[in-house]
Amino acid sequence: MLIYSIIFPILSIIAIIVFFFRFRSGKSSLSSFLIWLVIWIFVIIFSIFPESSVIFARAFGITRGLDFLIIVALAFIFYLGVKLFYKLDKLEDNMNKIVKEVAISNEITLDDKEE
Amino acid sequence: MECKITAEDKDATYVVLPAYNEATRIQPVIEAIAEKGYNMVIVNDGSSDNTLDVILESKKKYPNRIHLYSLIINRGVGVATQTGFEAVLKFNPKYIVSMDSDGQHSPDDLDSVIEPLVSGRAQAVIGVRPLEDMPKSRNFANAVMNFLTKIFYGVDVSDSQTGFRALTIDALNKITINARGYLISSEFIREVNDNDIPFEEVTIQTIYTPETQAKGTNSKVALKILFQMMKHKLFD
Repeated sequence: MLIYSIIFPILSIIAIIVFFFRFRSGKSSLSSFLIWLVIWIFVIIFSIFPESSVIFARAFGITRGLDFLIIVALAFIFYLGVKLFYKLDKLEDNMNKIVKEVAISNEITLDDKEE
Repeated sequence: MECKITAEDKDATYVVLPAYNEATRIQPVIEAIAEKGYNMVIVNDGSSDNTLDVILESKKKYPNRIHLYSLIINRGVGVATQTGFEAVLKFNPKYIVSMDSDGQHSPDDLDSVIEPLVSGRAQAVIGVRPLEDMPKSRNFANAVMNFLTKIFYGVDVSDSQTGFRALTIDALNKITINARGYLISSEFIREVNDNDIPFEEVTIQTIYTPETQAKGTNSKVALKILFQMMKHKLFD
């Protein structure tokens, strides 16, 4: 048995447990937990039965299973990058709103200085 | 024919000044503005030096002319100006000006910048710097930014990156500024154009010092603005 066939499933199980607890504590939604669950299950399947990736590859017209896995991983990383960018952008907008509100409701007077 | 700016006009004018680490430069600017009889809304943009103390020193001399707000962390000239534009509404202004607080703009130009608003010829004014007065590095960056403003926002102006602008309260209520950084200059022009606000260009003097040159639209900032413009065009 190859070393990745042992390491990846263990990491995936840990990830599933972490994601489950995040879902249970309300930090992530049911849909995002289910998506991650499917992804990690696929990681487990492909690690233990690498040849199974060929079936998926063929379905997309790709000959080698590994090529399919790399393409899927790249697409996923790209998706995560875009999602993170938007999340950060939104966070920054919210932060700006708070900083602005705090400033506007607290005009600085000379009395503030003397306190 | 130029119309005369009266003391009442000046009293109804509020100058928004975003200030980030301007402790060594801001005092002469704000005191000159106060001496001219204009009101100010100064926004300290989370400065790490003693800009706030310096402004308070001036506020002691002109307590009724200076209104001071402070962002708890540095958020950029766009957010600081937005804060000023929102805070100024509390004072029921008729005319609102925004200019740089680093001494790059001369308070002597205030009268000529608000004159088209007072006379009713325009509702928005941008103070344009003559390109030939600019240092070469700036000149190039500004020419590129003018071109990009034309491409992305469809507005042809002679100085798209000016921080000296003025508008009436009606115009201010019509426009929406979301820019965080230096994109604010182009965004202001776009908003004025999109809302069909009549605007004029007024030539202003620009004082370039080695200190002010380090700030503002250099090539790196220009590149940043380009990315933001593309983002706005594609996703907003």
